[in-house]
Amino acid sequence: MSYYFTILSPTDVPLFNIAFGTSKSGGDGIARFRFPDTAQYMNQFIIHSSLDVVEEAQWMNGNMYLKHIDTYPPASAYISAFLTPSGARFLLLHQPPQLPTNNVSSATAGSGSILGSSFSGSGGSSSRASASSVAANPTSPQTEEAVRQFMTEVYENYVKTVMSPFYRQGMEIKSSVFRGKVTAAGRKWL
Amino acid sequence: MTSPGDAAPVKPPPSFSPGVPRVASKTRYPNQRRDSSPALDADLGDSRIGSSPTPPLSATTSDLPIRSASPHPQSFRSSTPQLARSSLGSPVDGRFEGSEEIRLLIIRSFSPVVGVYASADTDELVRQKGFAGGFWELIRPFGENVPGKIVIRDSVGASRGWEDFGVRFVDLAGKTPTQNDSSAGRSSSLAQVEDVLEKQLGSADDPLGGSMRPKDFLSFPTTSPLYKVFLRQLLSISPATPHETFRHPVASVIAISSRNTAPLETLRQLYADTNNGNKRVPEWVHPEYLRYYVLVHDEDRDDIAESTKLYDQMKRHFGLHCHLLRVRSTQCVVTDDDSAQVPECEWQSPAERLSGRSEPLVDLDTNGLLYLFESDIMAIKAFVRELVAQSVIPYMENRVAVWNDQVASRRRGISGRFMSMSRRWAGFGSSSRSSLTAGGASGNYDLTHGYYKADTPEAILRKMADFAFMLRDWKLSASTYELLRADYANDKAWRYHAGAYEMCAVSMLLNPSIMATKMKLDGVDQMFDTACYSYLTRCSDAPNALRCLTLAMELLKSRGGSAVESAARWAMRAMDLGLVGSIGQGLFSERVSACYAARSPVSGMKWGSRRRKAGMWSVFAADVWLRLGKPSLASASLEEAERLYADVLESDGSFPMPEMQTFVDNLRHAVKVEYLEARGLDTRDETTTAEALGTEETSEQLDRRKHRKSLIANPLDLGGVGPSQGPRDNDNAANDDFERA
Repeated sequence: MSYYFTILSPTDVPLFNIAFGTSKSGGDGIARFRFPDTAQYMNQFIIHSSLDVVEEAQWMNGNMYLKHIDTYPPASAYISAFLTPSGARFLLLHQPPQLPTNNVSSATAGSGSILGSSFSGSGGSSSRASASSVAANPTSPQTEEAVRQFMTEVYENYVKTVMSPFYRQGMEIKSSVFRGKVTAAGRKWL
Repeated sequence: MTSPGDAAPVKPPPSFSPGVPRVASKTRYPNQRRDSSPALDADLGDSRIGSSPTPPLSATTSDLPIRSASPHPQSFRSSTPQLARSSLGSPVDGRFEGSEEIRLLIIRSFSPVVGVYASADTDELVRQKGFAGGFWELIRPFGENVPGKIVIRDSVGASRGWEDFGVRFVDLAGKTPTQNDSSAGRSSSLAQVEDVLEKQLGSADDPLGGSMRPKDFLSFPTTSPLYKVFLRQLLSISPATPHETFRHPVASVIAISSRNTAPLETLRQLYADTNNGNKRVPEWVHPEYLRYYVLVHDEDRDDIAESTKLYDQMKRHFGLHCHLLRVRSTQCVVTDDDSAQVPECEWQSPAERLSGRSEPLVDLDTNGLLYLFESDIMAIKAFVRELVAQSVIPYMENRVAVWNDQVASRRRGISGRFMSMSRRWAGFGSSSRSSLTAGGASGNYDLTHGYYKADTPEAILRKMADFAFMLRDWKLSASTYELLRADYANDKAWRYHAGAYEMCAVSMLLNPSIMATKMKLDGVDQMFDTACYSYLTRCSDAPNALRCLTLAMELLKSRGGSAVESAARWAMRAMDLGLVGSIGQGLFSERVSACYAARSPVSGMKWGSRRRKAGMWSVFAADVWLRLGKPSLASASLEEAERLYADVLESDGSFPMPEMQTFVDNLRHAVKVEYLEARGLDTRDETTTAEALGTEETSEQLDRRKHRKSLIANPLDLGGVGPSQGPRDNDNAANDDFERA
């Protein structure tokens, strides 16, 4: 499972970005997205497009944690969202690892590779041995819960960071302490 | 923009404020409104792409693919006119006309098939008129749109008139479509569709061949003609197959001519041929279909009195289903007084398109086109109308009523109710379990050959449902398909099973009275899923699977509201399963974008639309087109993306996320360079201004444009530049610098 975590300001400007991989079940914490290295903009495209759904979901739901709100099927990318009272949005893109069988279909896709190779992986992921682990199934209740814990912890740290007297609303968060905390939370929960 | 830090609202405000978008797009492209107002004709048919008025000379040199940089965008837009929607008004306004158009296209694609079987002397007569294919070719184009209103009564007795009803004439005298040659062509039929698109693109991409007709800019064309070609091709792939009866003949026209020496014997012979001779339909086609007898009278050579006498005789023998068709036997040429061009066949299968028997892509006013006398056309139209309105439709209505009475109502009785109950217990659509509960197979299904015989109840019910579907009685057809689904699953007739699920969902979506409630839509989604799975996994029938997914997408899209989300999902599924080729990838990306764009915001609110998603898919489509080397299509897609993003981006049109911005910038630049290269122009000038695709570029282009116009209008006005230099400069945009100085 690979993760891409973004904090967006109320005007959709990214304040903080981090990409990391799972540390559970033997993961090494390095993100391996399905897109080729040259196509990392895909994460941002998907996150950006899911704002449509966030804007809709934020009025339908009283919670700060909006759960899994959007899916990008061609790359089986799942988006979870968390709202802060100040209007900043936490968006987490999570993508199960690519199954080896998908390589065949991605070869046939040939030129149109940026559309992602396949989303048959979403169906196939249930066949993995540990169905209850976070990495296996992006829509399971376990995953939702883990993401919620992660979001809450990041939110705590975010509040502390933005209360810093040197931080102004809308500035990019450059604090290395915060980055470290987010990484730690990712290692802990995801 | 809001500054949410001041107060602490419980909910964050929407991330963009009202009023910005339209202003944004206007300020960014000051010339946009003027340029894009001559929107293109929505009906710019496939046939018309290649033919065009010559675009202005300057278009070849001065315009650039990106709208922001292009003062004269028409010529490149011509191949994808859906993108020429102007910036006036709300962009979602025009969507519904567009989806309605697609919906009608789908409805019309399922029209009854009428076989044509003419005697040798009739074909000979028609060949003299220049129609090599004989009588069938003569009347074929006229069947596709029956003139006037056709009134159809549905199963509950309500009448409704349809303006656009049509039938398809197929040639029975040629090879009978058997399962063998259909399966041979099946593997390649999707490739054929792709080839047709390729061909179409090849002719459309001709830089000078873009056609454009100015039109009132309030009716936005919403679907690209290329996509319509694709859809039409896809829907006309399927040959006659056992699992659905849309391509089985509903009636058959048996024609003789007045030259025939033994008319009645010939008619008997022809009838016998179709009934039990060598032209007999395969076992899975219902052998009882309507026979319609036509006497073709040669106006030029034969005596009308003779023919009338013969016609009276025919009426006595064969009853009401007769017609006397009076045509002239001499060939008509363009120069004749009352000549009229024969309309083109709209529904040609990909194979026919490729063989290029009739060449719809080349310029219309030249070669290979047939002409008919006005009087002949009137006669044929009257004949087709009479055939459809007085024979075919009543026959079909009658059959539906009879079968509904005799077969379907029995099934809807106690046993039918029991079956539906067991189905409900077994869970929706789970075929494996329902086959356990509902008992074993009926035994009517021929496992070795894979079809039901035409007289089994399953086959008759399917035929009845298809008839009802073609008569546009979707309520009846949906309920009948629903009845059939479990039967087919019991018999493990998977292709039938898939077809029933597919058509059941399609009928439900076509039925305008069924409300698009969430629950209903879930059911429809389930059905499409089952159908697609059965087609693809159990029968490995890719063309039908693609048809199923495409129908799902289009019909769900036309439903609007939350259904467009699933529509987009089906389109993505089709791309993901590898059912579409490389051109199809681009087309489907555009369709996904269109699906999302069709989602309108919650009334009075700023949220609920899917503009970002739509914009994203347009960008992807541009990327695909670029990879395919179609920069003009790519630029059109990019332009569409800009339009879609205009609402959600900052006023300067830049993306908040840096990598997205980089990607889009690169894409824009690449499209521009390729576009110019495709026109054989020097790109030196543009590569230096790689980043500056913004407003400066626009003004620069405008400058050039002015110069060129003045140059063309009056070359001598430009002080030192002699008239001889004018044409040379027009050939090379990159040389413009000195001219501007």
